[in-house]
Amino acid sequence: MKNLLRTSQSFLLPLLFLAVWEFWAVRLDNPALVPRVEVVLSVLVHPFSELIGTGTLAWNTAVSLSRVIFGFSIAVILCVPLGLWMGTSRTAFRLVNPLVELFRPLCPIAWIPFAMAFFGVMRVPQLFGVRYSNTILDSVQVGMVFIIFWGGLFPILLNTIYGVTGVRSLWLETARILGASRRQIFRKVILPAAMPAIMTGLRVGLGISWMVIIAAEMLPGSDSGIGYLIMYSYELAEMQILVASMVVIGLIGLVLNKGLQLISTRVSGWQALER
Amino acid sequence: MNKLILKDVGKTFNGENSRKVEALRNVDLTASTGEFISIIGPTGCGKTTLLRLIAGLEPLNAGQIMLDEQAVEGINRACTLVFQQFSLFPWFNVIRNVTFALEMRGVEKSQRQRLAMYFLKLVGLEDAAKAKPYELSGGMQQRVSIARALAYDPDILLMDEPFGALDEKTRQKLQDVLIDLWRDKRKTILFVTHNIDEAIYLADRIIVMAPDPGHVTDNISINLSRPRNRLSAEFTELHIRIRNMLEIPD
Repeated sequence: MKNLLRTSQSFLLPLLFLAVWEFWAVRLDNPALVPRVEVVLSVLVHPFSELIGTGTLAWNTAVSLSRVIFGFSIAVILCVPLGLWMGTSRTAFRLVNPLVELFRPLCPIAWIPFAMAFFGVMRVPQLFGVRYSNTILDSVQVGMVFIIFWGGLFPILLNTIYGVTGVRSLWLETARILGASRRQIFRKVILPAAMPAIMTGLRVGLGISWMVIIAAEMLPGSDSGIGYLIMYSYELAEMQILVASMVVIGLIGLVLNKGLQLISTRVSGWQALER
Repeated sequence: MNKLILKDVGKTFNGENSRKVEALRNVDLTASTGEFISIIGPTGCGKTTLLRLIAGLEPLNAGQIMLDEQAVEGINRACTLVFQQFSLFPWFNVIRNVTFALEMRGVEKSQRQRLAMYFLKLVGLEDAAKAKPYELSGGMQQRVSIARALAYDPDILLMDEPFGALDEKTRQKLQDVLIDLWRDKRKTILFVTHNIDEAIYLADRIIVMAPDPGHVTDNISINLSRPRNRLSAEFTELHIRIRNMLEIPD
């Protein structure tokens, strides 16, 4: 009973929001401005039906997701090791940090025009000398990947450095007086101790990447993706598709964050439980 | 064998604004094999620094530390240290904390579980093997730390107020556990404390230190038979003597 009450508390405000929206939509009676809830829902429950000649909702979501996953993976593969290196070596920190400080204030979105000019319409398969791979990668532009990479770079890098430099000296000394070598200290102490901060970096980075891709897809020159779907349905005044796309963006963001949170409690659950 | 000798040891730290802070001056100390020595003194007398120098966590500025007539430099295999703070690795469970020490000393993988259980049994925690450190009380965590240190099998066990954060009853219980382990394993133990009772109860010999800069003022042999009675006349007499040495007002 108590549980039921608690769960219903979490649903109270979202339901109220929907009710206000619906009330507003009926009052205004202008579907080109505020579509009714059931109209938006009917778009959402048919993700595989063709929309205004731009592919399905599911397809555009998949395109955006694959762009993010591609760019974000590159950011993780490069920035976690770089952060570990910068956190453990003062020389590395002095070497790389000026560049980091210089580029950090640059919002990833500011890179979009540059990326478009530089990479043009080049797509990922072309990097490997293939014109069409007949996979979803054909819709993944190198420029987009580049921007996603910038979106993930700083949160991942800075949190990794912070995690490594923040390892308690007590743990390092404990390992040292038990005769651990530098390599052993790195693998068995620094890495697990920094893991909570690294996971935080991944979560923030993925969140930013997901926001940045939507912005990038809304710009001219884009031809697919959930951000493109929003812009295009705006131009055609198809408000129900626009709102449905926004709902999808929110839901995907939620799922991505929850997914990483689950991984995070698996690999660094000790931190949450320690206190 | 494994005689520890400190000759004229001095340590100065670089404080803020390039101010020098002299932590230890002219410390001489000899510990024979299997001897239990307590080091007592007020806060800031350099007793923790002394242990850290022996453990090799800090370099010396003056003098020499000799082990078996060999000068000790850096971390050495013969010593390990048990910290006052709870220092178990929270990402490992209890038994993994102990096997960590076994792994570092090069014990074969197939032997580690069995040996770790043996050391956990010694401190009475075999049932907590699978628990995570944060699930244990402070006293249990320190027992695991001791098991981990013993698993490393050092000749000299350095202990920096390991029971400092524990309540009196737990503290006394662990003192008895430690005495049993020490008698069984014949380790040399250097035990830093600022608890007079604890020092007298445990040690063969008490080194009294004073600050500004840290130095040794007295060296008292405790010739009471074990187990010792904290309320006996001889114990109380020693207690009063050391109180006076430390200039603690009545």
